[in-house]
Order: sequence, then C-alpha cells, then structure tokens
Amino acid sequence: MAKITIYSTDGCPFCVKAKSFLAEKGIGYEEIEVLPRSNGWKEMKKKTGSGSLPQILIGDEPVGGYSDLVHLEASGELSQKLGRAGKEEVTPLYDVIIIGGGPAGLSAAVYAARKVLKTLLVSEDIGGQVAWTYDVDNYLGFSQVDTADLIAKFEEHVEKYGVEKLVGVGVKTLELTGKIKKVITGDGKTFLTKTVIFATGKRPRLLNVPGEKELIGMGVTYCSTCDAPLFADLDVAVMGGGNSALEAVIDLMKVAPKIYMVSLTPITGDEILQDKVISSPKVEIFSEYKILRIEGKSTVEGIEIESLETGESKKLSVQGVIVEIGLLPNSELVMDTVKTNRIGEIMVDSGCRTGVAGIFACGDVTDVPYKQVIVAAGEGAKAALSAYDYIIKQR
Amino acid sequence: MAKEFLSKKGVEFTDYDVKNDKEALKEMKKISGGALRVPVISVCNNVLVGFDRDRLEQALSCFKQSSKIE
Repeated sequence: MAKITIYSTDGCPFCVKAKSFLAEKGIGYEEIEVLPRSNGWKEMKKKTGSGSLPQILIGDEPVGGYSDLVHLEASGELSQKLGRAGKEEVTPLYDVIIIGGGPAGLSAAVYAARKVLKTLLVSEDIGGQVAWTYDVDNYLGFSQVDTADLIAKFEEHVEKYGVEKLVGVGVKTLELTGKIKKVITGDGKTFLTKTVIFATGKRPRLLNVPGEKELIGMGVTYCSTCDAPLFADLDVAVMGGGNSALEAVIDLMKVAPKIYMVSLTPITGDEILQDKVISSPKVEIFSEYKILRIEGKSTVEGIEIESLETGESKKLSVQGVIVEIGLLPNSELVMDTVKTNRIGEIMVDSGCRTGVAGIFACGDVTDVPYKQVIVAAGEGAKAALSAYDYIIKQR
Repeated sequence: MAKEFLSKKGVEFTDYDVKNDKEALKEMKKISGGALRVPVISVCNNVLVGFDRDRLEQALSCFKQSSKIE
C-alpha cells in the first residue's frame, strides 16, 4: 500500500481535519511538521508546488489539501491511489467493538449508542447464558418473565439505537496493544476500533471423557433447563453435585423414570434441593464416583463410573447424560493480554477497566461476584461509560 | 435464533414444539438419528442438529435451487 505523508503545522485547523479524517478511515500516515518559510516548508513547496498547509502526498504524488482528500475518498480514487483493491471498502474505525451478546454486551451496546459512539456488536448468539433458562424472576421490573421475551426486549432496545450487529460469528483473534485495536472474526474479516468491551460470558465445563464430544446432542447435554423435556421416558444420569446438578435432577424427576446422580464429591448444594432429590424414589445417588466413559454408537447407551473409595467400576444403562459440573469463563482470547484470576476470570476495577488501555470487560467473564442478569446488565453499562470516558480523554 | 434467521431470510417453516408435543419429539428423534437437542431443522433432504448459521445457509441453497426450477 502506498504511504501517505502530511505536511502540517501547529494551529492549522485543516491539518487536524485531514489527520482525523484518515484516522477515522483507519489509514496510517506520516506527519511532517513544518513552519512556514522554513527549510521543510521549502522542500514541501518543491514537491507539491503549493505553499499552503496541509499538503498531502500519496507515495510521491501530491494530491492537495483536506478538501482534495475528501473528494478523492468520495470518488473512490483514494483506495485506488493507496493501492487497495478497487472495490474494497475502506474499513471504518469503530469507537467501540463489543464482543458478546448476553445481558452485559447488550447493555453496553445501549449505553455506547446513547453516547453516540460508533459501535459494533460481535457475538455468536444473542442472549448468552440467560437463554439457557426458561424464565427470569429477579430482573427489576419483571417479577416473572419468559426468557425469550426478555432477550427479545433487550435486543429491541439495542435495535432502537441502530447499533451494528454481527451475530452468528465468533472472534478468532484480537490485537489489543496498539492505540487502534484489531478484531478479526471467524470469517476472516478485520475490524478496527478504539476500544474493545469483552462480554463473552461463560460456558459449561466438559467432563473430558471418551464418548462425550462424539455424543453431544445425541444424549449428552450441558443445559438441563433447555433440554430436560426432551428426556421424557428415558433413563438419565446427571453429572455433578452442586445446586445446578440438583436442579437438573429436579427438572428431570418430572419426565424421566430413572435418574442417577453421579458426583466426584459428596453432594454440596442447598439443603432444600437435596431433600427434594433424596426423597424421590426415582433418584439413585453415586457420590464420590468419577465417570470413566460415555458409551453408545450413535446415541448415548450407557456410562461407566468408578468409586473413588474402592476403585470398583460400574456400568449404568442410560440414554441421557446431563453435565452440570460448573462453568468456565470465555477469556482465552485475552488471557495473554489482560490479568485473569485463578479460575480464568478477567480481573476488572470498579470501572470495568482491565488495566490495558482501551480494553474493558463486563459480565460473567469477569471476576465481579454474583453472576446475575441484572449485575451483568449494570456492569455492561459501566463498561460502555468507561469506554466513552477513555475515548474523550484520548481526543 | 434459528427461527429469527429463517424469518429474516424470508423462508417459510413449520414450528413443532417438541417440549409439549410427544409425537413431534418422537418424529424429531427419528429423523435426526436420536438427537436430544433443539433445534433440529429439516431442510429439503438435510437434517441439521443445532443452529449453525453457515450450515443452515448451505442447506437452504437446495431450497433456492428447487424453487428456481419451479
């Protein structure tokens, strides 16, 4: 790509305009400051034939001042002169790119848009983890709301401000250390931005046993609230010993004839939930057992478990395996760039700042305690406002 | 999300609520080789388990071809 050189001087408004115009388009340039009638200025006049400032050169070719630059861009000639592919659009520079479309990311989008920041939201889905539940009973203003309706309302709110969205696409890599950051998506597109808000949430932890990956969706699931009704009339095993596992068992008690609960540790969840589970004749508990493998050709046919105490193994015939052994933060992309805690959550301060200039994080991917929809939404708002403050101070 | 995607594409579809319709659940398991996950999307002769934008888009191309023939 041809290089752009700008001759400028202090207190020259069109020099400032020309520079910010290029920055907005994500086009790099070299600036040479010259005082009128200095040697540098004389050299500029020789190269361009003009003594007014700014003077802009693309490669060795003088193209004029600010208005000439705008004209070139509007006619599409700027791209050609720069040696970019003729039809390719010049990549815009975003103020903020939000990664993640759960309550934190969507709330950040609303706040960013209301501050008139040029915003792009990139997410594999809309709703995030909240979409794994059927209803929400503790979001202020909604004593009981269908999750799909709540997410639709969130999305509607974001759409009202016309935020650009890229949904169904993941982020492949990030370059976060420069002043202008790069977000490269799974489909190979590059986006430039001044700030990034990381709102990628969490994902279920896997068992990492043979047969698990092969049988996902064919009896293996990580979302009992979503999928429990599908296990009607089937025998199932629930992996885990905490509240989520107990809730999964309770959901399944309504539809499945036999439920095995398999936990590495003694059952640890709330007593009310434990009582419900223990008193059900449908449930058989194997605590301090580990799972060795999931068996089945095309669908789940059974599991093999082993007692931690005696080492004795056992086969259970089940058609479903519901895994509820906790969540992992989706922080891998920024692990090397920002500080994370022992369990991989991004550490943020009270303004959702990560410690790396221009990089903010919010919601369940952070170390902020209490993973709740309302907390995530609040954190998203804070992250966007912090990003706004950051951008203002950079000007 | 799959439903929204199809609507935006202007594709007509029939929606079966397998959580409340045991017959539909049975049919879903049959056509998908025993899938216990939603959504299961049947397009032309393809059955897709789960929502994957790219795969669904690819599957829909058969639909476009067949409607062109018409």
